[in-house]
Parts: sequence; structure tokens; C-alpha cells
Amino acid sequence: MKKTHVALLVLVVVAISVISATFLDFSTYETFSSAAKVPGKSFHVIGFFDKAQGIQYDAKTDPNQFSFHAKDKSGAMTKVIFTNGAPPRDIDKSEQLVMKGYVKGDVFYCSGIQMKCPSKYKKDMVVGEKV
Amino acid sequence: MATEFTGEHLLPGQIGYFCVILSFVAALFSSISYLFAVRTETTDPEASKSWVNMARMGFFTHTAGIIAIFVALYYVIANHLFEYHYAWSHSSLDLPGKYLLSCFWEGQEGSFMLWMFWHSILGIIVMKTAKSMETRTMTIIAMVQVILGTMLLGLYLGQDIKIGSTPFLLLRHAMQNAPIFSMPNYMSFVKDGNGLNVSLQNYWMVIHPPVLFLGFALSLIPFAYCIAALWKGDYKTFIKPTIAWSLVGGAVLGTGIMMGGRWAYESLNFGGYWAWDPVENASLVPWLTLVAGLHTLIVYKSTGRAFIITIIFLLLTHLLVWYSTFLTRTGILGKTSVHAFTGDGQALYYHLLVVLAWLVLVAKLPLLFRWKSLPRVNKEEATLSREFWMFIGAAVIFISSIMIIFSTSQPVWAPLAKWITKKDIAPPVDVIKHYNDTQVWIAIIIGFLSGVTMYMKYKNTDARKLWMNLGFVALTSGIMAFAIAYLQRITTWQYCFMLYSACFSIVGSISYGISVQKSKFKNLGPVTGHLGFALILLGILLSSYNKHAISFNSMGVRFGFDKGSEEKNITENRENELLSLGRKVAMGDYYATYIGDSSVPGKDKRVYYKVKFEKIDSTTHKVKEQFMLYPDAFINPKGNESGLSANPDTKHYLTNDIYTFISSATDKAKSDTSTYISHIAQKVGDTIYLNEGYMIFNGFSKDVKDARYEPVEGDIAVSAKLTVHDKFGGIHEMAPVYVVRNKEYISYVEDTVRDMDLYARLGNIIVKSTDSAYAEIMVRQTNPMDDYIVLKALVFPYINVLWAGVIIMVFGFFISLGKLLSRKSKQEIAHPVASIDNADELPEIVA
Repeated sequence: MKKTHVALLVLVVVAISVISATFLDFSTYETFSSAAKVPGKSFHVIGFFDKAQGIQYDAKTDPNQFSFHAKDKSGAMTKVIFTNGAPPRDIDKSEQLVMKGYVKGDVFYCSGIQMKCPSKYKKDMVVGEKV
Repeated sequence: MATEFTGEHLLPGQIGYFCVILSFVAALFSSISYLFAVRTETTDPEASKSWVNMARMGFFTHTAGIIAIFVALYYVIANHLFEYHYAWSHSSLDLPGKYLLSCFWEGQEGSFMLWMFWHSILGIIVMKTAKSMETRTMTIIAMVQVILGTMLLGLYLGQDIKIGSTPFLLLRHAMQNAPIFSMPNYMSFVKDGNGLNVSLQNYWMVIHPPVLFLGFALSLIPFAYCIAALWKGDYKTFIKPTIAWSLVGGAVLGTGIMMGGRWAYESLNFGGYWAWDPVENASLVPWLTLVAGLHTLIVYKSTGRAFIITIIFLLLTHLLVWYSTFLTRTGILGKTSVHAFTGDGQALYYHLLVVLAWLVLVAKLPLLFRWKSLPRVNKEEATLSREFWMFIGAAVIFISSIMIIFSTSQPVWAPLAKWITKKDIAPPVDVIKHYNDTQVWIAIIIGFLSGVTMYMKYKNTDARKLWMNLGFVALTSGIMAFAIAYLQRITTWQYCFMLYSACFSIVGSISYGISVQKSKFKNLGPVTGHLGFALILLGILLSSYNKHAISFNSMGVRFGFDKGSEEKNITENRENELLSLGRKVAMGDYYATYIGDSSVPGKDKRVYYKVKFEKIDSTTHKVKEQFMLYPDAFINPKGNESGLSANPDTKHYLTNDIYTFISSATDKAKSDTSTYISHIAQKVGDTIYLNEGYMIFNGFSKDVKDARYEPVEGDIAVSAKLTVHDKFGGIHEMAPVYVVRNKEYISYVEDTVRDMDLYARLGNIIVKSTDSAYAEIMVRQTNPMDDYIVLKALVFPYINVLWAGVIIMVFGFFISLGKLLSRKSKQEIAHPVASIDNADELPEIVA
């Protein structure tokens, strides 16, 4: 067996073991209730912004957090406190939210939000009808 | 039902669409003609020649067609022809002219066009330079152009299957269901376009996409050369042009990626230049495999080894570019990426899958077909040989690319993982840590390898000399790393290793360039390239490791976090600081004061916020240094969106950057509820106290000069002379005007001090006697507590090391290219495999 082959084999073994080790980094998509089973551990929760209750953000008391309510896929409504800054643009217009965070008590503490916003087509349907 | 629509300009679209078809057909014609030229090459050289001529004509027509598409689309966008969906959805009337080009790359079709354009230009260069390889390389290049051409067709096969989408689609076709489009005069309602995404309105966004796409396009040429080499069974002619093209590709793609980083740094507020975002990873990975392939190709050129792996790396590079397109364009990353493009739905998804499958086949078949006859060297290489360690280095880079693409592809393999584990796999909670934890080791290995391998010779190396050289490098760089670690307080052990490795590579490159290569410029390509790369590593380490927020909020309610796991959260979530108008706040070594904004209600949607930074000497309390930063934000961009879209502003020093951006701000249009408060000034010299300073009444003037006031005969117009002293010592003059027209109608011309957000109106003149009158001054000012911004300020130490590293690395690629192209043609002929036994005497090409 050639040295290059041995070296390659070693590298491949190391690579596979590293990939399998970091595989544990990957999180899972949960609902609020399944995330609540392990309080304090961070998960991803897919949910929907509750327009009726809106955003509570007062930069004068704390510029780094805001809260809102979201419904998850099972339909459960939970209070979400975002602990990582000001409200992102268009969160109240989003179709879907992917929230990173953990449950403590009956609140979901969220450190990251990925929003899915309505497509341009839809948005402009509204504009078109107004015309 | 044929409705006659009015107000449309259909000609540019018709010309454009004709050119779409023309360039598609011409590419198909060219590819097939080249194929026939290959087939008749040996049997009928005459026929082959005429096939080549036809194919060339086809390719020129194709190129002309693409340029014409560009011109037509530019005409549509520049003239704001909003009857075209593309112009309507990506531009608007108020879009500054310099950003018109950015509209091209905001959309799917425009970026495919840009890609095609670069391919066609590169194709012409290959056509002129490839000589005996022309027919085969160009068959492949023209074939890829046919594939890209299908992306712009916009053809419907039956009801549901759509192939590509044309940039010349009409708005009324794109949205057939909207009732407005049944009106013949619908154009008179479509007044303005949807506008360009505000984060793309940045000069980096004008130049970054063309450079990046040129880099992507450049990956096609080594791909075509490798297939041509396998096809022809000629494994030496392709070496020199492939090295040359890979060098250009490495330089341009590297530049393009870092320009993207620079754009993110300057105009996206994710607080840095690199976030391991899938879109960034997708362009990094092809660069890694390209660089790996370049290194093994040089090994092959010099020793005849590593042919197969070279071909695999270079073929994979182009396939990965397509895979990136698949990841970023189809919306599959939707859940995981900040800036994945909006998908064009299922049609594009399957279209790109078919393309990928076809290209894998095109790449794989010739390799399998020639497998048995591919050049191999059976003799084992020496452990202390350059080829062995270059090979290992390339393999490590390749492994890094596999790791990155594996994690990035999480949405692709998640369904499979769900089927096996019954769990819905999501991306890591801390994405940046996930990548950093593994890639730091790659960086360490690559740093050391690049430093060590330079000192080795092909075939075998004198061990004693090698250890002496390396001993010197190890010692010098060790001292350097120790000093930096001490001064920069780098204590995490992995990152200490990385620091040492980067220093090792820096010292190794410099001392090799001086002591071995005697600083001969034309030989310095690889040394410069590796020095640049090592500086990039060092820059990344210094700027990210000690990146810290100086805005640090001390107010507010805190949560009871568990100190261990969520500790980082606490610091993270305090990085925003509230700055009320005029209130001085300590930030790191500085005091920051928000002193006003540029907002003009109803006008420009981009608002600049003025923030003054002062450094104050702790003993003398004197201001040592001061500067202004103007981070800006679009408040409610496009009118119907909420929140803001911010652009950072940065103070650049040689050794660090202070980077600020607005997280939140008062929306003046909404919060403007303050009312006028009346003050009476009885005599000249009376003072009116303001929230932020004071105002002195200097008497009346009948000499009214105000552009907003047009005198009419019989008017009585009087202005009040006011001097405003703000709290920063600034003095402003105001002269609000009071007008009585026809002895009946009273009107006011208000005056403002924009910086202070102060409005003054001369509300009344109360005549007391023949020579004295009181002035009623109505003052409107915002409450400073209501006028605030939420600011995040970060310090990036030594980020210039990173940018300098990028420039030096790219420079290194070009020095190597210059040397390669200037070589005498007689040396080209040296067959690598034949000369394997005297590899030491072979000129070192690049490495």
C-alpha cells in the first residue's frame, strides 16, 4: 500500500469521525410543548406571528429585547421574548418564523429568528386591488 | 379574447426575446458543429475545418445575442418600462442611476444572463487560444451555454411544466389573475416599480456580483479542458492552459467572495464579514476545490503524479458551482439562510436537478471510459518530497470543502435523516461555532503545510538542510506568535495553534522568498499567494477573536439566565445601546452622542444619523480625538414594510475599525405628535429656553428674504430675527415670517433648524405702542427622550490584515500567471510522465 493511500485513508477516517462528532451540533425542529420538555435547551421552533397581539418593544426600558406571541404548528400560542436586539424588519408581516431558543417557565426565550416573508407577487396583488 | 392594451412598449421585449431564442439556437448549433468537427477530425480534416468555421460563427452569433439581450433589458430598466415584470419588480423611478446595473443581479434571470455573458466572453478567448484543444473544449462550453440558455426560455410545455423564465415577461402575463390587467389602459395605473431591495443599494453590490459570477464562469474552463483531455486521450496539452485558467479562477473567485464579505461588512448589519451563511459557503466551497485542484495539477505537471485526483477536483469545482446555484436559487435554503434568493418554485428546482444530473454524467463518463489508460506512477514518492505534502495539503482542503458542503446541505439531506432517525433535523443552534470548531483545524494544518512544503524539493529533499531552514522558521514564528498572543490576549488553545500556524506560514513564505528565491519577482507568485493566505488567516483570527461590542447596555430588565449555557446570550443581548438625542454615553474608550438626523419628512427614505464619538483624556478631561459617524437606515422602506433596514458606518483606523449600525430608531413620520408651544418675546434680547439650548429674539425685520415666500402687492410681511444656541455651542439663525395678505389672510412661513429638529413660527405680532411690539414665537421641538436611536457599535481589531491578505494573495495568483504565460514554448513540451526520473531538474512552474 502506498503512503499516499495510507495518508488518504487516515484523512478520510478523521474526516468521517469529525463529521459524525459535529453531527451532534445539529438541532431539531420542535413545537413549543416538545421544547418545553427540556427546559433551557435550545431548539428550532417553526411558528407564526400573532398579529392581534403585536410586538412589545420599548427601546427606553431595554433596547435589546422585545416580545410577541407566536403560534406553533400544533396551534399552541406562547409568549416569545427575543433577547438579542431590536425587532427585525417586517416581522409583523411574516408568513412564517423559524425561532431559535429555549423554553423556561411558560415563555420561549428566543435568540434568533428567520423570517419567511410573503412573496412579491402576493404583496403586489394587494397593491393592484387598491388601484 | 384580444384586448388592445395602451401605453405599452412591446418592441424592446420582442427584440430581447428574439435574442434569447437566437442565442440559444446559436449555442446549440455551435456545440453540435464542434462535436461534428471532433468526430471528423481524423477521418476528414477538410470537413472538420468547415465544421469548426460554422461552429465559431455560431458561437459569435450566440455572444452577440447575449449582448443584445443585455442591451434590451438595460433599455427596459433604464427607461422604467414597468409593463415588464422584471423592471417593475426590481427597479423604481427613484432608483439612483448608478444602481440600475444592480437590478440585473437581484433577479433570477438577470444573474443567469450575467453568468452566460461571462461564459461567452471566456469562450471566445478559449476559441482563440486553445488550438488543438479548441473543438473539444468548445463543444463543452457551448453545451453549457445551451443549458444556461434554457433558463431564459420561459416556455410552457402543457399547463404545468415551465422551462426557464424570460426577463422580458410582461407584468400582465406574470399576474394574469389580477383584475387590473383586464383593463386596456392598465399602464396608466402602474406608475412605479417595486424597487430594488435596499440592501443591494450599495456600491459593493454593483461590482461584487459581476466579479463573483466571473469567478463562477471561470470554473467552466478547467472543467472543459479536463473533459477535452480525457476525450482526446491527450494528457499533457491541457496542463498549461488549465493551470493558467485555474490561477485566474482562483484569483477572481477569491476576490469575488471577499468582496461579498466586504459588502456584508459595510452594508448588512449581521455584524461582520463572514457568518458561514449557506450562500457564502456555497461560493467558498468551489474555490477550495479549485485551489486543491490547482495544487495537484502542479504536482502532476512536475512529477506525473496525482492526475486522477486533479481531474476529479477540477470537474467537481464546476459541478459544485451548479450545486451552489441549486442550493441558493431554488429556495431550498429558505429556512436556513439570511440572504437566499427567493425561489422560482418547483420548475427551477427540477430544471436544475436535471442539469446537475446531466453535467455529472458528462463529467463522469469520459473518466470511467478512460479509467484504465489514465497516467499513473507506480513508484512510491519519498516522504520528504514536495509532491507528497502538496498532495496531503490538497486532500485536507478537499476534506474541508466536504465538511462545509455537508453542513450547508442540511436542508437537502434532512428528509433522509428524518426517515432514519425520525427526527426533524435543524441547523446547529450556534452555526458559527459549528463551522469554526472544525475549520480551525483545517486552517492550522494548511498554515503549517504551506510553510513547510515550500522548502521541500520534488522527488526528494536533503533532510538536514530542510530541518535547518524549518528550525529557523519555527523559532522566529514562535516568538512572533507568542508576542501577538500576549499582546492580543489570545488564550484559547486551538486559536493559539492557529496563530502559530499563520505566523509560521508568514515567516516561512517571506524567508523562502528572500533566501531561496533571492527575491526574483517573477518567481515570487506562490510565495506571495501563500503569504496572502496566511495573512488572511491571521486577519480572521485577530479581528474575530477580539471583536467586541463597545455599545453595552447598562439599563433594562435582565433575565435570570443560567450562567453556564446562556452566558453568551447575556453579552449578546446587551450589545445594543440606547442613545437619546444629545445625551453623552460612554462606549469603550469613547463617548458617543447622538446629535441629530437628516430626515426630511416625506422625502428621502434613507435617513442618516449623526453620532459624535469623542475620546477624552482621563486626567486632563480634554477631548483628545473626535469624529462623526453616519450610520443610516431606511425607515419603513417601500412604504408598506415595517421596521428599518440599516447600513453600518465605520471608522477605519490602521489597527482597528469601529463599526456602528442602527438597530432601531424613532419613526419621525409616526411619532411627530409634538405641538407648538407659544412664547412671548417682549423686547429685543429676550431669551426663550429650549429643550436643547436657547433662543434669543433680536427684533423684527421688514426685509423678508425667504425663497418660500412670494411677495404679492399689498402684503405686509415681517420676520422675527432669532439666534439659536444649541447645547454643543453651535449658533443658528432663524427668521420665521408673518404675512398679512389683503389685510385679511394671515399666513406663516416657518423656519427650522434641521439638526435640532426645531421648528419656529412667528405666530403673532402684538402691537403695544407705535414703537414697540411683542412677538409671539411658536416653537415646536421634539422631546429629546422621544428622539433616540438604538445603536450597536463593534470594534474589529486588525481587520486590515485580512483585507491586505486578500489583495496580496490575489496578487500572488497573477504573478504566477505572468510567469506561466511568459515561458518559452519549448519548455511546454517536456512531458511530465517521461521526465519523472529527473523531476529535480524540471523547472518549478508555480509551486
